[in-house]
Amino acid sequence: MDETVAEYIRRTVLKIPRDEIKAMLQNWGFLSETQLQTINFRQIKESISQDVVQLCEENSADIKQAAILDIIYNHIYPNKRVWSVYQMKKTGEEMEFFDLSDFKKKFKRRLRSALKNVTINFREYEDNAIWIRIAWGTPYTKPNQYKTSYVVYHSQTPYVFISASVLKSTLPLLCQALVFASNYHDIREMELRSHSLNSLKDIVFKRYSQNFQTYYPRRTQERNVSPESADLRIIQENRNEKERIQRVNREVFGDGPQPKLEFAQYKLETMFKSDPKMDVLDKKEPFRCLVKFSSPDLLESLKSLAPAGMADAPLSPLLTCIPQKARNYFKIREKKDFAGSFVNP
Amino acid sequence: GVFAHLEMLEAQAHEAAVKQEATEQQEEKLARLKARVQELRRQRDELRAKVDLQQKGQLGKEGSSADPAQPSARAVLEWKTKSVKAMLQVFHLTGISGKLTKRGVCFCISTAYEGTYLDSYHLDLLTKPEVRIHRHSVPIFIPLEQIAGKYLQADIRRFFSVLSDHLNAYVGRRYQADQLQEHFSDQIEGTLQRNSLCNLLVFNYNVWSEGKPFLFNVRLLYGDVCCSLPTEVVISCRVDAPSPLAEMAAAHSDLFRRVALHRAFRSFRSAGERVD
Repeated sequence: MDETVAEYIRRTVLKIPRDEIKAMLQNWGFLSETQLQTINFRQIKESISQDVVQLCEENSADIKQAAILDIIYNHIYPNKRVWSVYQMKKTGEEMEFFDLSDFKKKFKRRLRSALKNVTINFREYEDNAIWIRIAWGTPYTKPNQYKTSYVVYHSQTPYVFISASVLKSTLPLLCQALVFASNYHDIREMELRSHSLNSLKDIVFKRYSQNFQTYYPRRTQERNVSPESADLRIIQENRNEKERIQRVNREVFGDGPQPKLEFAQYKLETMFKSDPKMDVLDKKEPFRCLVKFSSPDLLESLKSLAPAGMADAPLSPLLTCIPQKARNYFKIREKKDFAGSFVNP
Repeated sequence: GVFAHLEMLEAQAHEAAVKQEATEQQEEKLARLKARVQELRRQRDELRAKVDLQQKGQLGKEGSSADPAQPSARAVLEWKTKSVKAMLQVFHLTGISGKLTKRGVCFCISTAYEGTYLDSYHLDLLTKPEVRIHRHSVPIFIPLEQIAGKYLQADIRRFFSVLSDHLNAYVGRRYQADQLQEHFSDQIEGTLQRNSLCNLLVFNYNVWSEGKPFLFNVRLLYGDVCCSLPTEVVISCRVDAPSPLAEMAAAHSDLFRRVALHRAFRSFRSAGERVD
């Protein structure tokens, strides 16, 4: 077995939390049950990884198996990487019969024709997600297994989720290969980035809870779950206002959990508006300013602002439009004819 | 004289007779009215007894002790609400229902396949200045933009009809593939290859011939995206397979084109599918 492969497997196993190692190796399926029985999973990780490498040596693992283990790790822990969303466009209107083997062949062919030294591996999952792992080399050096990009693509959708590596120069090659393999003709990066891959999917696939008005009684009706029957001596003075805020909040955010984003960034290129008498700035220049909201769970925290009394309801549409516009990076410029700002489409 | 006296007596007698007649008539009338009152009282008591009986029979359901000939306002309202709810439920079950919103209409398309209700999808439409989609929960691989471009402005009924066809066919195909994986995984070898729209399925399954197992590879192509049955079926096998298998392959191919996937497999299982 190649030394680099052995080292790569060892390092991959070290990344996995100790309690999860056995399950992940079983998922991998490269080592048999009997082989796994011989490993003591309660020793320190260093020793576990040594044992695993030993067994892989017996089975003559090559880079392909090592890459699959790496994909499995990243599939279970995708939130360790930052994912960007790309949107593809096509001109034709014909319905595509997305053929997986066709896609894989075309992707490999196109990428390899541009750069020979790449390692490409695929893994498909039940929810029609295709994971692609690419390890990049250069025209003169072998692929570096530690310089990897990951692509997640759901067939017959125009969205691709990419976690690029440090090498930004490889991105155009990757995009070209994707467009070619999936029969689209153009691709652009969206202004949507997050650590939570599933939340990005929820936003672009519209799987998050939107509040649609229907007559059909929804199964989860949590009306009037107010603990106000607790103590009759406590009187809610602002009950009407509280209920109004709840109602407005529900209309905007829906009932379910919000997609998980870590930040929203607003780049302002607007004119500073001051009292003309004060005349703060000599030159009438746009006031460049960057506003960044950070949170472990931004949309949930925005949802709780009004009920907590920290903001007026309804919140500014600049904040609430994030899932619907599928972006968390905004450029705000002056509206040409009116006072005020408009969001760059 | 005497005649005058006699006339006077006659007149008196006549008066008395008239009076008596009047009194008698009065008495008759009174007796009649008394009898009527008795009769009405009797009827009232009868009806009262009926109402009591009814109330006792429907304890707790209706709290109104009103005269049953005239239902209370509350009962009428309850009846109205019930029938409206039932009407809305019926509309929802037909598959397409809508509700007016402040700026337009919100539609709900409910899908079903062979009697099983599956997912519901919503479209929030704005009506001014023109009809357009504000938000929706239609899956991204359904060509909503295309369909809207063609029909939304021109013929909104057609738009919903076409969209509903797409969605129902998609959930139907998906349901069949899910059923196959869930209930017939013992007949399938390896993984079932599918895609988001479920319009291409590729898998291998076991068949028996002359007591020996063989592997068929089948490729189901659903060319009509509004249909939940495949338009093209390709079954292939290893070259050195006996000839009765070719017949079986043709029969299966025909079956897959006509019958839902999980039904076809159910028939394989029950038939035992042994060609000897």
